[in-house]
Amino acid sequence: MNPISDDELILYHYRDGLEPSRLAKIATALESAGELRERYRRLVALLDRVDAVTTAEPDESLAARTWERLAPRLDAAHEGKRNVDTHGVRRARAPHKQRTRWHVPIVFSAAASLMIAVAIGYQAGRQSAPSPSPLTQTALSAKSGMMAARVLDAYVAEHLRATEGVLLTAANTDARSTFADERDIAASLVVSNRLYALAAARAGDARLADFLRQLEPILIELANRSPDSPIQSTNGLRDYLRRTDLLFQVRVTQARVSANGTRET
Amino acid sequence: MSDELGWLDAARRGDRNAFRPAVDANSRPLFVLCVRITRDAMLAEDAVQEAFFNAYKNLDCFDGRSSFKTWLHRIAVNAALEQLRRHGTHVLATPMPDDDDDGDDFLDRQLDETPRPDQHVHGVEIGRRIADEMERLTPLERAAFVMRHHEGESLEVIGQNLSLNNSASKQAIFRAVRKLRGALEPLRESS
Repeated sequence: MNPISDDELILYHYRDGLEPSRLAKIATALESAGELRERYRRLVALLDRVDAVTTAEPDESLAARTWERLAPRLDAAHEGKRNVDTHGVRRARAPHKQRTRWHVPIVFSAAASLMIAVAIGYQAGRQSAPSPSPLTQTALSAKSGMMAARVLDAYVAEHLRATEGVLLTAANTDARSTFADERDIAASLVVSNRLYALAAARAGDARLADFLRQLEPILIELANRSPDSPIQSTNGLRDYLRRTDLLFQVRVTQARVSANGTRET
Repeated sequence: MSDELGWLDAARRGDRNAFRPAVDANSRPLFVLCVRITRDAMLAEDAVQEAFFNAYKNLDCFDGRSSFKTWLHRIAVNAALEQLRRHGTHVLATPMPDDDDDGDDFLDRQLDETPRPDQHVHGVEIGRRIADEMERLTPLERAAFVMRHHEGESLEVIGQNLSLNNSASKQAIFRAVRKLRGALEPLRESS
């Protein structure tokens, strides 16, 4: 059996990220190998000590204070939604404040699933069940294609929001402590970006596909940066972003695909 | 979930007071979650505020596959990270550890865990070191570790929430645990 690393012991502890067969082998090895058991005991002891560290508790008025600040904002948010619903007019877009990545998962597997979904969407559109008239069949095909395009736009919009965040951090901070984070995010974005560019090309959105392909070199650059990169490299990156106005282009494209994604089919 | 249905439907219809019980019930645990990530009470409170606001605006996106509390906590993780990004003051300029250490086993090094007469002081010192090291984790390492260890979220959900692939999620957690263990290293030398 392959030696069991400490990283695998961490995954074993959480019963997550390992194949069931590997989990079973580690469990068996823990029963027989004293040295491995001792390493695992140290891990558990460490995590127990983490649990023992007290966290700042909020004061009693937190909930009331939160509601006091929140209620007017909820009223405003509801009023804004009502205006769109009632008048069918999109209200002025609020300043882009916060990424809400959580509702559109952006990971390699999600991007790959999207590729399949878009391909199926278009394929299903072409292979719609026979309908009484060619016009109806054409309408069904068009509707399937438009729905697939909306799905793609939603995913790409979220991808561009994440990309903007990485670019902003690279341009505005010298903090070496965030390098690992941003490098990991950029590496994930490289993979997603390629898939979305491919999906956009297949969906017939050549303009979006081209733009996403243009992003790839800068994402690769960010994914390969090290905290020891010379200052000239960081300044060069900033100059590039400023010269090409890339952040502005990302925001404009993100706004465009967001708008596409919310259109009625 | 059936208890949530009543107030959820009302809140979705625009009855903002229907959202109040959710705020009352979840403010404290959300704050604890956010302060673990931001390491700052004021930023944590702002993150709690933003998490509730985002949740309310997107109640239509809550599909019930997870509990409302779980869904809300996932929103709060990103709200906390956003507060850190906005303020930037909590990004410590601490030299990065040598990347050559990544992947090396670290649990084989014996630390002095022998009970001592001053055990209480010893325990307090360990707690302080761990708290200090939590603050030195990168925001992503801290968020990934908090989600896995304190929130019990899967690697898949962590990746979705933090825009990481599976490997990156694992590495963030590995780095966090390695650094926390490393915080105890000086205790070995002092034994």
